[in-house]
Amino acid sequence: MIGASDREDRSLMLHAALDGELDAAGVIEMERALAADRNLAAEYARLEALRQAIRTQAPRERAPEALRARIIAAAGSSEADARHLTLDTRILKRPSWRTFAAAIAATIVVAVGVQNLISTTGSPDEATLAVVAGHMRGQISGQPVDVASSDRHTVKPWLAAKLPVAAMVVDLAPEGFELLGGRIDIVGGNPAPTLVYKRRQHLVSVTELRAKIADYPATPRRKTLDGYPVIIWKDDARAYAAVSDLAPMELDAFVAAFRKAAAKERGQTGETEGGQG
Amino acid sequence: MTSEAARRRFTEQVLPHLDDAYTLARWLTGNPTDAEDVVQDACMRALRALDGAPVEHPRAWLLAIIRNTAFTWLAKNRPHAVVLAGGAEEAHAHQGALEEQAAPTPEEALIAKADRESVAAAIDVLPIVFKETLVMREINGLSYREIAETTGAPIGTVMSRLARARTLMIDKLGRMA
Repeated sequence: MIGASDREDRSLMLHAALDGELDAAGVIEMERALAADRNLAAEYARLEALRQAIRTQAPRERAPEALRARIIAAAGSSEADARHLTLDTRILKRPSWRTFAAAIAATIVVAVGVQNLISTTGSPDEATLAVVAGHMRGQISGQPVDVASSDRHTVKPWLAAKLPVAAMVVDLAPEGFELLGGRIDIVGGNPAPTLVYKRRQHLVSVTELRAKIADYPATPRRKTLDGYPVIIWKDDARAYAAVSDLAPMELDAFVAAFRKAAAKERGQTGETEGGQG
Repeated sequence: MTSEAARRRFTEQVLPHLDDAYTLARWLTGNPTDAEDVVQDACMRALRALDGAPVEHPRAWLLAIIRNTAFTWLAKNRPHAVVLAGGAEEAHAHQGALEEQAAPTPEEALIAKADRESVAAAIDVLPIVFKETLVMREINGLSYREIAETTGAPIGTVMSRLARARTLMIDKLGRMA
């Protein structure tokens, strides 16, 4: 005769077995009990069926992107930096925010400029700040790229399909910077193609902007914004800003490699892809 | 004012668990809009708390904040739900865990083929303490120990609540089919 309390213990054991919470001895004991007791085995089958039903019909949900974006913005803006507050607020109001939030990897961002890229932004510095914010947001969201591919022939068409201007996409794997993919940042209210490369655990974002508007120097110049080393420069009609948490010297190496590869790419295509003007 | 360290910890320890946070809030409040409010409010509380020390088990910690925030919200907006919870568990304590097991029970095949609406409805009608335990275990995938940490209940209580929640669901789904 099994008392109510024994039956309850037995039942709790059954649940613990289902949940993988029994120790080895408990598992053996439960296996014996299941083999000997049809009712217990039937109960176990029901519990498994219930688990199956919950797993398939009530899966863990993904937090809405808009919520994620609001939280990231709220967390960021609680710092004493009013510049960011206004920057974030403006970006949040834009319909393309979703794309923006989903973007960003870890550390080197190259953004490519588009028509009127900076015209609504007061100064090139503000544009650079937006590039850094994009990079940070990518790291925070854990989703640095919208299109993930180490193949530039995948990334480039993806960007091209969404932007009026073809972006410069180069393969830097031989130089030790693996292409992770691309995303589109919002700089001054306009989309800016951004490539994300990876070295070790560090990310580099490179954002391409229109040189006419961003007014970056022809010789790469390094500055520090929000603790991130940023290198800005321009080549022909394009301006670039590279951001990373890499050591500044490594970011220098990245920029050198990127410029070299970009020059080669321009030579091959006769710089017809810019479509500027 | 939030320190740089708190923001970094927030990024590293809170943001990765946002889906879990939202899912729990979704079930506790019963609708997506209120869940968003609860999650946002809870995250701001978490951010402020991170100004102190780093936390040891970020997911359980965050879910505990979600839970507290959701209960505050429920007490304000659905006082009925919270009252019911206490009553149900008390009744259960006197009754012995799975007394109703004696009644004929549905086939597992019926349960396995329950559709989305039935499963959601069966979870929704659970008294809140059973519901949160079931959601944390089956949907968030927390261990007994983590659920105990999150809810502040002893592991034995977690186990009996979970067993009770599952029995109620099996009952309900068996009757729906």
